[in-house]
Amino acid sequence: MDSSEELGGQQYKYIAEKSVEDLGLGGSIDSIDMLIRVEEPVFIIVIRYKEVTGKSTLGDASYIDSRKNGIRITLSSEIFLGDALKVLWSKYGRDRVEQIGRLEIFVSGADPEEVKGIRLSEKGYDLESRINELAARIIPEGFRVRSSTKEKGMITIIASEDPIKEDWRVLARRLEGDAHA
Amino acid sequence: MHMLKYLLFEGGLYKHERILEFLEDVGGFLVQKTVVGLDLIMNLAVPEEEHERLSGIVSELKGKLSPAPLIGTEIGVVAPTLSRHHLPHPACDIAENLRRHGAKTNIIGLSRGVGQKIVHTTIKEKELIEEHDIAVFTLGNFERCLMKKTKLFSEIEVPVIVTGGPLMKSIPGAEAYVGGIGRYPERARTGESIEKLREVSRVAGEVVEQRRREMDLDPLIVDPIVVKAEIERQVPESTEALSPNPVTLKIDGVRVKLPYDEYKDKIGNISIGEKKLSEFAVIKRSLMRNYILVKVLPKSMF
Repeated sequence: MDSSEELGGQQYKYIAEKSVEDLGLGGSIDSIDMLIRVEEPVFIIVIRYKEVTGKSTLGDASYIDSRKNGIRITLSSEIFLGDALKVLWSKYGRDRVEQIGRLEIFVSGADPEEVKGIRLSEKGYDLESRINELAARIIPEGFRVRSSTKEKGMITIIASEDPIKEDWRVLARRLEGDAHA
Repeated sequence: MHMLKYLLFEGGLYKHERILEFLEDVGGFLVQKTVVGLDLIMNLAVPEEEHERLSGIVSELKGKLSPAPLIGTEIGVVAPTLSRHHLPHPACDIAENLRRHGAKTNIIGLSRGVGQKIVHTTIKEKELIEEHDIAVFTLGNFERCLMKKTKLFSEIEVPVIVTGGPLMKSIPGAEAYVGGIGRYPERARTGESIEKLREVSRVAGEVVEQRRREMDLDPLIVDPIVVKAEIERQVPESTEALSPNPVTLKIDGVRVKLPYDEYKDKIGNISIGEKKLSEFAVIKRSLMRNYILVKVLPKSMF
C-alpha cells in the first residue's frame, strides 16, 4: 500500500482485506498492491492470484480413492468445495454424501470412475470474474476511467477520473515489478 | 406555549399506563411506542417543568429515562451513491444509531455523489434532502476528495453534518464534521467505532437543540406535536398506513404517509382550536412517494 494520504491508505488496506474475505478469495490471492495519488487523481491496483484453469471435472480438482463401502474425495483446493457438494448432492442425495473434513467428502456406494467424470460447473471454475469483482469493489467508485491489463496470474487496473496518462502506466509497471518480487 | 422536553423511556410494559395517564394529565405527548417482547421503548414529550415528576414515576417503575433531543426529528442520511461501495456500511450504522436516540431516519443515495469532478446534487435531490430536519452526508476516506465534494451540500438549506475518514475539525459548508468514519466495509462493532457513531448522534442532538432554540424566538403557531395528535385523531387512516411511523413528527411540521391527491383536503380540513390546519400550515406534495408534507407557519407570518 502506497498512498499520498496515510490515513486514507490504511483505510483502503482494510477495505481490500475485508473484500477478499467477503468474496472468499483468501486462498487464491497471493498479493494485492495499491498505489493511490489523490491529487492526480489515480488509483492503481495490482492483484496477483493463483491461477486455476482446466479444473472442470471433479476428477481434475480432486484425488479420489475407494474405501470399503464408498469413495473418499480429497479436493485440491477449498474453492471447489461449494460446487463439489452441490453436484454430489444433486446426483447422490444428501444422505449418501458426507463432508468429513475441510477438503474431504465421503460418498457411500459410488463408483470412482463415474465420480471422476462429474462436471463441477457449466464453464469451469470462474476465478477471474471474482477477481474482477474484487477489484471493482475496492476501487473508489468515482474513478470511472479504467485501463486494465492482464498477465498470467496477475491483473492490473489503473483507474482515474481523467484519461489515463503515460506516467501512470509507468507507475503501474513499477508496481507490477514490486508485486513480482 | 411552554417548551417541551423530549425523553426516551426504556423499561417494562408493566404499569406503563401510569406514564401515559401522567402525560395526558400534564399535557405531554407520546411520540412513538415500540414494544419488543416484554420490553417497551417510548419516545415522549413532556412540558419542561414536569420532567422531575415524570422521573419519579419512571424510577418507581424501575425504568430508565434519558433526554433525547432527536425525538421529533426526521433526519436524512445521504450516501454518495446506492452502490455497495457506500452502502450498507456506514450509512446504515449511522442511521441506526440516530434512531436509537429517537430520530426517524431516511436513507438517500445520490445519483452523482462520486468523483472529484462530476460530483453534484441535482435540484430534485436537494429538495428531497431539504424535506428533512437535518442531513447527514457520509463521505469517504481522503481529505482532498472531501474538500472537492463540499458542493454536494454547501447549498442545502437545512443543517448538514458530514462524516468522513480524515480527522479534520470542520468542513466548509456544513454545520459540523465528524471524522474517523469513512468508507468501511463491515458493520461497526468495536467500541471505538461505535463511539464515533454516538458522536454523530450527539452532534445531531446539538444541532437540533440549536435549531429549536432559534425557533423559540419566533415560535410556530401550533406545536407540530399537537398537529400530529390531531391528524391521528381526526384522520384515523393516517395511523393505519403501513409505512413505518405513519405520521412522522418533524421540527417544523409533520409528514403524513398517505397519498397526497386523495388525502390533502382531508388533512387540510382538520380543525385545531378555532382554525383549520390549511389556514396556518403549508400542505404540499412530498417528493418521497407522494406523501403529504405539512409545514406549520411561525407566528410572525400572521
